[in-house]
Amino acid sequence: MTFDQEAVLRAYATAAEHGHARLTALDQRSGDGDFGDNLRGGLREAVARFDAGSGETAFGALGAVFLDEVGGTSGPLLGLLFTEIGHALAAGDDPVAAFGAGARAGLDAIQRVGEAQVGDRTLVDALAPAVEALPGGFAAGARAAAEGARQTAELRARMGRASYVGDRAMGEPDPGAVGIALLFRAAAEVAEPDAELPTVL
Amino acid sequence: MSLPFHPHDGDPVPPALRGFARAHADLVELHESPAHLVARHRHPDRRVGLVSGGGSGHEPLHGGFLGRGMLDAVAPGKVFASPHNRQVLEASRAAAGPGGVVHVVKNYTGDRINFGIAAERLRMDGVEVRRVLVDDDLATESAETATGRRGTGATVVVEKILGGAADAGLGLDELAELGSAVAGASRSLAVASRAQTSMHTGEPSFDLRPDELEYGVGIHGERAQRSITRPATEELVEQMLGELVDALPGDGDQVITVVNGLGGATLLELYGLHELVAEGLERRGLATAGQLVGTLVPALDMTGFSISLTRTPAAWLPWWNAPATTPALTIDRQEATP
Repeated sequence: MTFDQEAVLRAYATAAEHGHARLTALDQRSGDGDFGDNLRGGLREAVARFDAGSGETAFGALGAVFLDEVGGTSGPLLGLLFTEIGHALAAGDDPVAAFGAGARAGLDAIQRVGEAQVGDRTLVDALAPAVEALPGGFAAGARAAAEGARQTAELRARMGRASYVGDRAMGEPDPGAVGIALLFRAAAEVAEPDAELPTVL
Repeated sequence: MSLPFHPHDGDPVPPALRGFARAHADLVELHESPAHLVARHRHPDRRVGLVSGGGSGHEPLHGGFLGRGMLDAVAPGKVFASPHNRQVLEASRAAAGPGGVVHVVKNYTGDRINFGIAAERLRMDGVEVRRVLVDDDLATESAETATGRRGTGATVVVEKILGGAADAGLGLDELAELGSAVAGASRSLAVASRAQTSMHTGEPSFDLRPDELEYGVGIHGERAQRSITRPATEELVEQMLGELVDALPGDGDQVITVVNGLGGATLLELYGLHELVAEGLERRGLATAGQLVGTLVPALDMTGFSISLTRTPAAWLPWWNAPATTPALTIDRQEATP
């Protein structure tokens, strides 16, 4: 199986364009409302950087932009994930195994930095189940990420900005977790175009 | 009230960094994008770079402690705001020795996350990193159990002892362990009679009556858990010392003291306070084995002071007394050179 990183980057960027208003609304419930802007803006910049011929892989460009340029706390944390996936894809032949290894390394890094556990209502709630499910293929990873993101609606935040508002963020999913689900869906759209994929937003 | 004398346009930090680098051009070098400061000289035996940083508004911390015997590079954030991970990353790349880098981080969420992201990026580069978290502020011990105690005045003690130890050639894990032990043996407490001046309004950031003190105040203008009726200064120091000594872990009888101005305290006051601190410790059977007095970790121009105590074993004293040449602190005790 070939895995077209560039196509994943473009599919992810398109999803962030379509999801911008909804992500902004979700983040306004629990955070400072900039997650939609940060995700869309970072993806636009990564696409531009890649198209300008930065010499990086698509995930290399994505990681560099989110680590260096994107604001908030979640931006650079996502940058760690993208960078680890980029490294793993460059090092491995089998895309499912490489993407899975990169996503696991990214999850580990994000947890070391942010100290969030599963159940804290953060992006970890989508990323951890996706990493577990990914050996079953990209569609399985996408389904697990989408389900993990959906379930954050039932969780009270312990970490991150949303922890300041308590119950008031509940009832809707965590925007960071949704952002992760969009990444795994984009990867599955490209790698397994015939698979049935869940709707994330 | 009136506004501080910052240049009128925008962020006061960049021009201050340029002025600082100009004033101490023999000791430090400024890199502007992303902003970080690097020491020009380091001890030939130092194998591990020491990096710190945090919000601005606490000068001379951290840039003032750059140089031989203390820090190798620092990342200054905007006023009272964490530096970006890129600043920490570039500071660390500049500072890294063959043995890696130690990050000295004051315990605030933003600093923890940004230093943490930089540490992950350094690991991806193959640079080994350890973190020393400074969490000395007694006032936040019970109040914020989830986030832990804030990092305040004892940061200077950690940076000085670690600097001496790094110059003695200690390795990465030894330094990380030592730094954590120093931070763990340190407690601080701060009081203020007037909040710092807001850079935007020229007014104090919170109001206190003339007979009130903010007891347990933070270094970013965070209000304390309580305001107290102002006692006589002797009584105030006794109360602070009593709480600090009770809370200090361990059982040795030697302490390092820091009597630190919060920005609006005069040296005339600080030396008088230092005398009260030393006498109070003596009455409690504690000997002052090392001491610093001055405006070292202020909160802009807050009127107040903090007392930090570090219970120190004899083994740390050669590192505490080791030579240092930095913009804010120079130590040259020939007889104490290890």
